Amino acid sequence: MPARILIVEDSPLVTDALRVLFTAAGYEVDAAASVAEAVERGASGPVDLMLLDLTLPDGNGLEVLDALRSRSSLPRSTLAMTGHNDSGSRRRCLEAGCAEVLLKPVPIAELLRLIELHLA
Amino acid sequence: MSMADRLDSSPTKRVKTLEAQAREAQQTIEELRARDALKTQFLSNVSHDLRTPLAAIITHAEILREGMLGELNQKQRDSVTGIVSGGQQLIDMIDEILTYVRSASDQVNLVRTDFDITELVDQVRTLNQALAAKKHLTIERLNGDDLPQVYADRDKIKHVLGNLIGNAIKFTPDGGRIWISFSRRGRNGDELVVEVGDNGRGIARAHYELVFREFAQVDASPSRPHHGTGLGLAIARNLVELHSGRIWVESELGKGSRFFFTLPLNPPRD
Repeated sequence: MPARILIVEDSPLVTDALRVLFTAAGYEVDAAASVAEAVERGASGPVDLMLLDLTLPDGNGLEVLDALRSRSSLPRSTLAMTGHNDSGSRRRCLEAGCAEVLLKPVPIAELLRLIELHLA
Repeated sequence: MSMADRLDSSPTKRVKTLEAQAREAQQTIEELRARDALKTQFLSNVSHDLRTPLAAIITHAEILREGMLGELNQKQRDSVTGIVSGGQQLIDMIDEILTYVRSASDQVNLVRTDFDITELVDQVRTLNQALAAKKHLTIERLNGDDLPQVYADRDKIKHVLGNLIGNAIKFTPDGGRIWISFSRRGRNGDELVVEVGDNGRGIARAHYELVFREFAQVDASPSRPHHGTGLGLAIARNLVELHSGRIWVESELGKGSRFFFTLPLNPPRD
């Protein structure tokens, strides 16, 4: 069965691009555009890998991790994506349990490599 | 002069006028500060909002280029590669604006660690090698093997070096030389001076200060041969000053430029 990736991203443009990419790479793709939606999608079935944007309309992306942890529905692996490179938010992401903190846009070869690595 | 006029120009009256003027000046300063903060916020928001659709464009173009939706012929691949590189160039410019906004509004927190600055210089040289090779430029590190480690924000110093070396590449004609060298000064040699030099077109003395000013370019005409945000050196200055260092240039027109910045070797530990 293909691995299930949950894209948490509030820009439909970016979500669409990532959906095309992951589908073409053979993954099953689900998407959410807010903290609330991400928690609901994440708790609805096992997620192998979550790609998590930090800036969401109803809060910080890391809140998704807290909520899923309290529901024992944490994805196997979470990669955070951020629009700006600052070491403070990088540290917070790693402390919150993200496996990687990526700066958008991540070159697709690098993104697919990291996803494969963290799904293994 | 009437008695009333004479009373008007009495010391008490003049003090009152001066006080009113001072209040007015203070008010103007506060208004300007508020507008500056607004401008910074605007730049930050616009940059962030530009980044998102660009990220989508680049990802789509990369998917096509990699043939994930079907093989492309060479012409199609070249065209899509052009979209990716153009997009990437825009992202870099937007990032430069965001970095400037942060460094100018004290939103930068330095994360200091001990690191080997010669290793960092070599890394930045390697990153710029391809660009330099296109113009047949050499980038050498002249010394520094015996330097102690520096305690500074590695990413920020990398940014400063990247901007200085990037400028040197931009403004040095084909076949030129770029070099990086170190010296120590101060009472106990506790100040490190880093030099990025080139034998390029040089900067007139009258422009020494101007080049560090934001958005300023010596040639700012739309037809200027060297495009860019005009923020590289302003960012370098802000980042160096955040480290309590100084940055300056010495140059001769037609002969080349030498940019220097200092870093304290033993700053107070966090």
